[in-house]
Amino acid sequence: MNKNPEPLRNGCTVRPLANIRVVDFGQLTAGANTSAMLADLGAEVIKIESASFMDLFRSMGSNRGRGPGWWNRSPQFRFTNRNKLGVSLDAKIPEGRRILQDLVATADVVVENFRRGVLERLGLDYASMAARNPRIIFASISSQGETGPYRLHTSFGSTLEAMGGVAALTGYDGDKPVISGPHVNYPDQVASLFATGMIIAAIRVARRSGKGALLDISQRELTSFLIGEEILAASVDVERAELPRRANADEAMVLQDCFLASDGRWIALTIENSIDVERCRAIVGGDGDLGGRVAVWCAVHPASEIVDVLRDAGLAVAPVRDGASLIRERQFAGQTLVWRESGEIVKGRPYGFDGAQLKINRDAPDLGQHTREVLCEVLGLDEPAIQRLAELGVTRSEPIEQ
Amino acid sequence: MLEVGNAQAPICIRLATSFAGKIASELGAKVVKLEPFSGDPVRQLPPILPSGPKADRSALFKFLNAGKTMLSMPSDAAEARRALETLLDARVDGVLFEEDDQLRTFLAECPLAQVEVVGWPAGMATGARLSEFTALALGGLLDMIGDPDRKPLRLGGHQASYSAGLSVFTALMALLAERDAGRHPPPARVSLIETVMWVNWKAIAGIDDVGKPPSRQGDQSEFQVVRCLDGWIAVVFSVTEFEKLRNLVNSPDLHQQKFATREGRLKHIRELYQRLEPWFATRTRAEVYDEAQRRGVPLGPVCSPADLANDPQNLARGFIVPLRDASIKGARVPRLPVLWNSHI
Repeated sequence: MNKNPEPLRNGCTVRPLANIRVVDFGQLTAGANTSAMLADLGAEVIKIESASFMDLFRSMGSNRGRGPGWWNRSPQFRFTNRNKLGVSLDAKIPEGRRILQDLVATADVVVENFRRGVLERLGLDYASMAARNPRIIFASISSQGETGPYRLHTSFGSTLEAMGGVAALTGYDGDKPVISGPHVNYPDQVASLFATGMIIAAIRVARRSGKGALLDISQRELTSFLIGEEILAASVDVERAELPRRANADEAMVLQDCFLASDGRWIALTIENSIDVERCRAIVGGDGDLGGRVAVWCAVHPASEIVDVLRDAGLAVAPVRDGASLIRERQFAGQTLVWRESGEIVKGRPYGFDGAQLKINRDAPDLGQHTREVLCEVLGLDEPAIQRLAELGVTRSEPIEQ
Repeated sequence: MLEVGNAQAPICIRLATSFAGKIASELGAKVVKLEPFSGDPVRQLPPILPSGPKADRSALFKFLNAGKTMLSMPSDAAEARRALETLLDARVDGVLFEEDDQLRTFLAECPLAQVEVVGWPAGMATGARLSEFTALALGGLLDMIGDPDRKPLRLGGHQASYSAGLSVFTALMALLAERDAGRHPPPARVSLIETVMWVNWKAIAGIDDVGKPPSRQGDQSEFQVVRCLDGWIAVVFSVTEFEKLRNLVNSPDLHQQKFATREGRLKHIRELYQRLEPWFATRTRAEVYDEAQRRGVPLGPVCSPADLANDPQNLARGFIVPLRDASIKGARVPRLPVLWNSHI
């Protein structure tokens, strides 16, 4: 159906998924952002929500409950759902469930990050759908995987940061573990990066073999995979079983920390080796504890001067940038942000192809914005059938209770 | 796959390239790692294992490179280039390389999937030194971790490099799929700073939402880490789960009106946690986790790397497996975090 209003290759030189249809049950970042990245690569992504179960990002922002159509104005939703079609189908109503099953049967890929068991209850699980469409690729991005004693457990990204081992390695000197919190939810971000790559790998296999796949991706496992060297070390070295947290220090570096400048800004500095030590001492002076000397020197210099002087001396130094400077200093954004003509910003991608900027062909959809279009053009439903679904409340485009 | 190291590139870039190559290798690709003549400096980096050949004890190097074919490049640049050409004449589908103008030019006409891993966004001064830590600072992620009145913190491990490695892997898959379609794929480029920014997108969306950067909230955050009998628990809950958390802890104090709304809880967050902490302090991680899950509260016990090997879920899923390198007896690592049709 690909009805993108822009020519396919305009603004994106790589569209290997141009003939792929994705049914997107993805919620929040881990699921929804995976589908967005597939859309960036040319896939037709149909995002499924309903009046009784919207993407939670629609109701997490400060717009919640404020004015007509508030559920269509969430910045977080806008960032993670560009280039998608939006369909509202309520699977709690039998007719809605049947239509959803028909729609999934037409898909090449399904992306979902529901709690385990939800899709089984709706007859939309991999086994049921693969029976109708053996080529289907099911990317199940879950908390702890499809199997095992914790398969039904509930979590957020921060839960998995603790259980996956990253939190144990993060924290102030000798102090308690630290998690990235709700404004980062680190495991959710990396899950979408990994899942996208794995789905493309499965599509390549399916194109050759005609066989689909169930990709069982555990976010907790991914989080642990990202500290694999520490798991390896702990497996053969009992002394690493209980590592003290060491703030910003790195065993491989002579000194690494943040220092407060005279204007109240933080500076990040890495001193890697003895040459760096000499260069740094030539600037900050003194023979004693290098970290202490750097702290004293930074306290009487503004951030911009510190960065200029230490950088020119050949050291790895940078200001700690906050969200405001991420927007203000556009030269750093590269491929990662896209400024719309309206002035709004959406998320780009973490890689570039031949310097081409990501083109946003569609803004994130309003709830159910493309329901009629998809029912008609993908499933071939006629007007009376579409009207009947509306009368049954299957295709409502205003939230019922969120 | 060829993984071409550049002796001049910062270590943080090498870790990203190596991580992407590791994923490809675990998926079944034959990955040939070309080390500079001087050897990959990652071989010397911690964690250092307590036994094994003296020059070969880096757990970091072992984790990233077990299962790859290692080739040392000649010290002479012309010889090294000839060796690379010979390798490219063999059946190669893709190349990962690191900040290398000459190699980029050399590869320009090769119909391979090629991903260049760099530090800085395109068009920015590449002469400036970069570390993984300063990439976290420039991408804004440092600003998000820690307490608001204390210094910014890095996430443990090599998260800037490894998240960039995941970007490299995904870009590589996209290029290979493009190549499958009979097209000559353009080169891809992954920057550490850009990847950190991309991971940290909520810092930007948060400004759109409430008009100011969210920055680190630490002890002012809804989600905090509290002490229990045998370690720590991450307290995590959404608006809809607060009532379940309140029932779990079962303290009359939590029914006070000031805790009834999210706004109220945020305003009195310190007081809220003072009322929550005693319940956790008398229970083990396992007791808290079991009871919380029974009630649908997504609390997370803090597991150390050593804990993960004996975790019931990891054991059931065969997640911790022997290292693909017999030189270290008993060494175990996490497998690739995906089961493909139930298989590893």
